[in-house]
Amino acid sequence: MLRYTLKRLLMAVPTLLIVITLSFFLMHLAPGGPFDGERQLPAEIEANLLATYHLDDPIWKQYLIYMGNLLQGDLGPSFKYKDFTVTELVAQGFPVSLELGFWAIGLALLIGLPLGIIAALKRNSTVDYLVMGTALAGVAIPNFVIAPLLALVFGVFLAWLPVGGWNDGAWPNLVLPVVALSIQQIAYIARMMRASMIEVLGSHFIRTARAKGLTETEVIRRHAIRPAMLPVVSYLGPAIAGIITGSVVIEQIFGIPGIGRYFVQAALNRDYTLVMGTVVFYGALIVLLNLIVDLIYSALDPQIRYDD
Amino acid sequence: MPKPLLEIDRLGVDFDLPGGAVTAVKDVSFRIHAGETLALVGESGSGKSVSSTAAMGLLPELARTHGAIRFEGEDLLAATPKRLRRLRGNDIAMIFQEPMTSLNPLHRIGRQIGEVLERHRGLKGRAARARVRELLERVGIPEPERRIDSYPYELSGGQRQRVMIAMALACEPKLLIADEPTTALDVTVQAQILALLKDLQRRDGMAILFITHDLGIVRHFADRVCVMRQGELVEHGETAALFAAPRHAYTRMLIDAEPRGRKAPVTADAPLLLEARDVRVRFSLNKRLFRPSTYFEAVRGIDLSIRRGQTVGIVGESGSGKSTLGRALLRLLDSRGDIRFDDTALDGLNASAMRPLRSRIQVVFQDPFGSLSPRLTVGEIVGEGLKVHALELSARERDARVQEALREVALDPAMRRRYPHEFSGGQRQRIAIARALVLKPEFLLLDEPTSALDRSVQATVIELLRDLQARHGLTYLFISHDLAVVRALADTVLVMKQGEVVEQGDTETLFETPREAYTRELMRAAFLEEAAA
Repeated sequence: MLRYTLKRLLMAVPTLLIVITLSFFLMHLAPGGPFDGERQLPAEIEANLLATYHLDDPIWKQYLIYMGNLLQGDLGPSFKYKDFTVTELVAQGFPVSLELGFWAIGLALLIGLPLGIIAALKRNSTVDYLVMGTALAGVAIPNFVIAPLLALVFGVFLAWLPVGGWNDGAWPNLVLPVVALSIQQIAYIARMMRASMIEVLGSHFIRTARAKGLTETEVIRRHAIRPAMLPVVSYLGPAIAGIITGSVVIEQIFGIPGIGRYFVQAALNRDYTLVMGTVVFYGALIVLLNLIVDLIYSALDPQIRYDD
Repeated sequence: MPKPLLEIDRLGVDFDLPGGAVTAVKDVSFRIHAGETLALVGESGSGKSVSSTAAMGLLPELARTHGAIRFEGEDLLAATPKRLRRLRGNDIAMIFQEPMTSLNPLHRIGRQIGEVLERHRGLKGRAARARVRELLERVGIPEPERRIDSYPYELSGGQRQRVMIAMALACEPKLLIADEPTTALDVTVQAQILALLKDLQRRDGMAILFITHDLGIVRHFADRVCVMRQGELVEHGETAALFAAPRHAYTRMLIDAEPRGRKAPVTADAPLLLEARDVRVRFSLNKRLFRPSTYFEAVRGIDLSIRRGQTVGIVGESGSGKSTLGRALLRLLDSRGDIRFDDTALDGLNASAMRPLRSRIQVVFQDPFGSLSPRLTVGEIVGEGLKVHALELSARERDARVQEALREVALDPAMRRRYPHEFSGGQRQRIAIARALVLKPEFLLLDEPTSALDRSVQATVIELLRDLQARHGLTYLFISHDLAVVRALADTVLVMKQGEVVEQGDTETLFETPREAYTRELMRAAFLEEAAA
């Protein structure tokens, strides 16, 4: 298990290297630079700035310098937020995004799993059609449509909850962004759980369990739910990645100072170092989360043991 | 006459399907007394499994039942779900056909057996564990103390079926329903399981309702037999009497369907068609970059020669390497050793050099359901090979060849416009044979072509294969675990075990006077001499 974990971490290095290299060159392909503003800077000042940040060097040299710094753990200074380094900005934004993501994925599982199970048990009934119809809508409607609608209804018309802001993660501020972020995942998880549950309920070992004289509740609780959850668990990796990228939009809409909002603004401002910083961070996070999901999977399914 | 333990009284089962009701069981009545073994015999779709599932109250919700199923006088069809749950696993237990999937893959087997004890006897913890260990020992699981904590995937098919039996016996049921319990198992394992059931029955005095399509088992195992066909009971009686003088035409047909007849031998000067020397196949168990890999050798140096018009049978149990050998000979798998087909050395030929030869060498696989593409019409499936190997044919000529091939296998050529799912297993296997024949091959590899078929269908397919061979001078390599079928078809037989040939020789000699202990054991198991003793 430990060897497997180390091996997977080692395998993440080339993955991250490719991600970083691709984003680095793609970003520099985009026209404009960090110091192109509405107000044209005097030529000598701009030249000075470019020289300070090595932006006047050929691109391959800039890449080598960046990689060199990265190896020492230095993500560089932000061009836009001049008083902060990128590391500081990420350290500031990440806890906010993490809290948002944690609640969103928690909510998605808490609602999605039972909905899927109920729909599977009441297959082809009104309840099933209702749940699956709603879930289909949840999958189809993008979160940048849902989020403003939620803000409009609960924030403006009903005025029950604030339309935006973070307020140190006070719960009224959390509700709308978390709901907006989780709706799509609830829908996915419910649909997946339903399909998987129906398959498991038709399997031979469920017939065996019934032949033992167990009650239907015992059959479902002891024999059906855990195997049915396996596909959902392997979906959690992509789901968390989805929530992270989804939060880029949601944070922007609700004005939340998470890492996602920095990401969007940095890209618009050509804040090269900040964009790269968030890419490196997201990349590492997704690799790590996928590893954790695989380890959970092996804990649930005895046939999967990572011992090599 | 004592009161019967189970009495099925004019039972009918209909399924409400979207297209209208379908009758699965119609007016079926029979009885089982304590300590007796009743065999319910029939081919697929005869309603035998539906009848027994009804007795457990485990039919799907779509099913409508009428009539009565009385267990010790109590009508189970009228019983409450709660009452049925008290009976299930306690007084009536069941084992199923699919040992590989009937156990929950995520729970240890000890827990799965213990669950029955907890449910019906209130046994938990140490007491339950002790009883589970005792049960595992009784069903012949080696090292029960260690195995009790195993997961199902760590056990073989035969061991899993033993676990199922232990689970069924946990509460000493009065009636055991065994639904094709040995069909998925190798013959030697089948013999062990049957012997185990007989032994346990003798000790506990339980009644067994044994559902099977295999008359060989029935003959040695059952006290009485009920024969079912298309949902109806066509005949029942004492086993010996029924086999000696079957009254119903269908029963006679089933008994006659046991493969029989022998193949006419070829002349001794027939030229060699396929010759192989020291064939070896190995699979790497784990691929490593910098260290040597470990290998599993599936075929370990086999010599083989087949003359034109001959049939060579390869028999062996699962894992013996017989299918691997067949695939290696046709270069569908990488192997070492010399293989000559006609005058060409096949070993060393790459895929494109091999292609022209492929039309002369064809394959028919075991699974008639999985090996035909569901999205192509029968005509497209059969004609596909012609598109590769006979480019000179026009569409019309190709169609004519497809029709001819379908006629060869006794199918109506009009069927070529339909899709595989519209056909029965036997018809599909004919389609698969037509697909191979359309290229007018000289050599056919038949990999368990009759194993998934009912006995009566099997007999007609064997007849067809023998007929085609006589008409076209085909040469067969016939792979099967079914000794009766091999005996009816082959000139010579190779017995394989763990990748090696244990014994080989002329079919009659080998079946009449097997030299090796393993061959004798295989035959005893196949023809169930042990269960009879």
